[in-house]
Amino acid sequence: MFEQINHIALIGELMQQMCVYLVVAYLLSKTPLFAPLMQVTVRLPDKLVCYVVFSGFCIMGTYLGFNIEGAIANTRAIGAVLGGLLGGPVVGLAVGLTGGMHRYSLGGFSATACAVSTVTEGLIGGALHLFLMRRHQADRLLNPAIAFGTALVAEIAQMLIILLLAKPSDQAARLVAQITLPMVLTNSFGAALFMRLILDRRETLEKYSIAFSVKALRIAERSVGVLMQGFNAQNCSRLATIIQEETGVGAVAITDCDKLLGFVGIGADHHLTGTPISSPHTLSAIADNAVVYADGVSRPYRCKVHKDCRLGSCLVIPLRGEGNVVFGTIKLYEPKSKFFSTLNRTLGEGLARLLSNQVLAGKIEEQKRLLVQSEIKLLQAQIDPHFLFNALNTLAAVIRSNPDSARQLVQYLSTFFRKSLKRTGNDVTLADEVEHVNAYLSIELARFAERLQVKIDIPPELLGLQLPAFSLQPIVENAIKHGISQMLEPGCITIRAERSDGLLSVTVEDSAGLYQPQPDSDGLGMNLVNRRIKLRYGEAYGVQVTSERERFTRVAITLPLEAQALPC
Amino acid sequence: MLTALIIDDEAPSRDELRALLAAEPDVQVLGECANAIEGLAAIHRLRPQVVFLDIKMPRLSGLEMVSLIDPAAMPHIVFVTAFDEHALKAFEEHATDYLLKPIEPQRLARTLNWLRSGGRPVSTLPAITSTEQLRQIPCIGRSKIFLLSLAEVEYVHTDLAGTQVVSDQRQGLTELTLKTLQERTPLLRCHRQYLVNTDQIAEIALLDNGAAEILTRSGKRVPVSRRYLREMKDRLLIS
Repeated sequence: MFEQINHIALIGELMQQMCVYLVVAYLLSKTPLFAPLMQVTVRLPDKLVCYVVFSGFCIMGTYLGFNIEGAIANTRAIGAVLGGLLGGPVVGLAVGLTGGMHRYSLGGFSATACAVSTVTEGLIGGALHLFLMRRHQADRLLNPAIAFGTALVAEIAQMLIILLLAKPSDQAARLVAQITLPMVLTNSFGAALFMRLILDRRETLEKYSIAFSVKALRIAERSVGVLMQGFNAQNCSRLATIIQEETGVGAVAITDCDKLLGFVGIGADHHLTGTPISSPHTLSAIADNAVVYADGVSRPYRCKVHKDCRLGSCLVIPLRGEGNVVFGTIKLYEPKSKFFSTLNRTLGEGLARLLSNQVLAGKIEEQKRLLVQSEIKLLQAQIDPHFLFNALNTLAAVIRSNPDSARQLVQYLSTFFRKSLKRTGNDVTLADEVEHVNAYLSIELARFAERLQVKIDIPPELLGLQLPAFSLQPIVENAIKHGISQMLEPGCITIRAERSDGLLSVTVEDSAGLYQPQPDSDGLGMNLVNRRIKLRYGEAYGVQVTSERERFTRVAITLPLEAQALPC
Repeated sequence: MLTALIIDDEAPSRDELRALLAAEPDVQVLGECANAIEGLAAIHRLRPQVVFLDIKMPRLSGLEMVSLIDPAAMPHIVFVTAFDEHALKAFEEHATDYLLKPIEPQRLARTLNWLRSGGRPVSTLPAITSTEQLRQIPCIGRSKIFLLSLAEVEYVHTDLAGTQVVSDQRQGLTELTLKTLQERTPLLRCHRQYLVNTDQIAEIALLDNGAAEILTRSGKRVPVSRRYLREMKDRLLIS
């Protein structure tokens, strides 16, 4: 009867002891020290952390235990078993040795037996670790049921070792009879609960990062390209709306360095777009190029515009452009009644990077446009030296044989140069382009003589239509340079124009069929004409090449007839 | 007396040069060619002492053509070009003679004087002594000049007319010798008078006398002599 009561009391007391033990474990789980324990550790530094932490628990288990007839009833086994399970046999052995030696140093008739058994417990955990790793079932190591079973086996082993090693034997037998049930139960439960704690901590972290990724991805998806069209009030308002909807914060604002460009959410009635920046937090974020967080408690936030403003905390993140220079800020607000979630704080900083990149990409687009424009200017100014010298050479010959034709040629040459050099406007009529091309081809006709034939088939009513200057000549020049001049037999160039479905298409066809796409050098001229038309009218238009080897190469320029408003 | 040949694809250029040379009593223009393929044949046929050679010509450039001239028939070459930065740089480096279009009469006179005094041949130009592999064979057909790409060629053989290049569709005469073709193409010698494109072989029939006969993909027959059969088997990994 007396022994029965003693049993139950002992279980209760050991359970209490385990509670203290688990509270310590819980507190520890909030520290970074715990991170390496949340997975099966492989790296050496992680193993070291594992060893230190579980040795600590081992020793704590011994201290928290209490004396029974010169022995100690305790929860030391949890540390040794878990150390072995999570860290492997070496860590298990090390934890067992540390815990065992510590227990040995405290003395008592069961000191040796306890020391040996702690080492054994560590090794049992380690053995299971090895077994499951070999069978590629590492995730089962974190299973609380497995921890329970392992601790159970380890504790039973400890009892056997005490029976074998502790002297005097009758005292050992009595001790074992008293403590077996309480110790086996509490240690097994303890190990399982400890493992559960690790798993819970892991799941929380995962949930947090999943929520974060989902939000970040949705914002990125919805905001793609908004700021690329320019960092202005209209685009900033659109973007602020997207961010406010996705993050659920009280309000979102975007500013440049002087004024508010967009504001959405609580307080939108008095935070007006276009007003100068009033918040000292924003000004200091811009001045220091640093994130400013006013949580409303340790660092107060007070709206400078309206005294009844409900906003109570804010996060200001600078937007950085080229060379890390601040060009604006993004601000997230929460009302006084609401807490600023860490998730939204982290997200805010990522958002700032996303927006900065978008603005930068928009600037690059703009620069590309300018580059194409200047390339066109260059193209206009540049006359192919081959053409020039060949023309002069032809002229020299024709002067000798036929002075009248030579005079005519000089006329064509001067028309060609005048048209090439003195293009002022951006758009010209098709008639202008044809005149330019005609002057060019007249010279080539004299040069190639019977090897070249030219057909121009353009309905007179299309001659008044507008197209970008310098669109046709580079294409015709290519047809001569890479087509006709490479033919062994006589060739023909045909130029046609037609209008259908609001489109103007001009085709230049040569009978050589020697077109070979060359991404870079493929006639700077033709690429440029294509890029310019696409940039101005859209991807559906531009230059298209079809070719059949040794039969023909047909280059078609297509552009819409109505859209002629945008300057380029 | 200097015998000369003009090779230029532009008629006005040829006329102009011919007019300039007509003023020189000791220069005899043997002919004119409008492309490098005809030019190659004309050099081998007419054996001029000097060739005025345009660089930019259809399909086969003047520089490429020089590398195909039979060394025994190699004339003095004077390159003529309107504008060619890269070629001019090479000429300067190798002291090769060249004229710029439009041709200056005084400059031409200097070149002619240098030639009359027995100017050096132009074998120093690397592009000219090239042993680079050919990708195409220049041919003259019945009514047409063309370049046959090597992949198309089935076999090449010599007969009384010269070197014949045969493909599935076409056949033409080339100025290149079997020896040059053997050195500068992957074509394989199978007979004293034949080279064959191994990619075009459909089957090889072994004959009783130790020789063999190739059937090409398009069904043409090419003889293999005993002397070359072993070498061919090695190349095709037939034991």
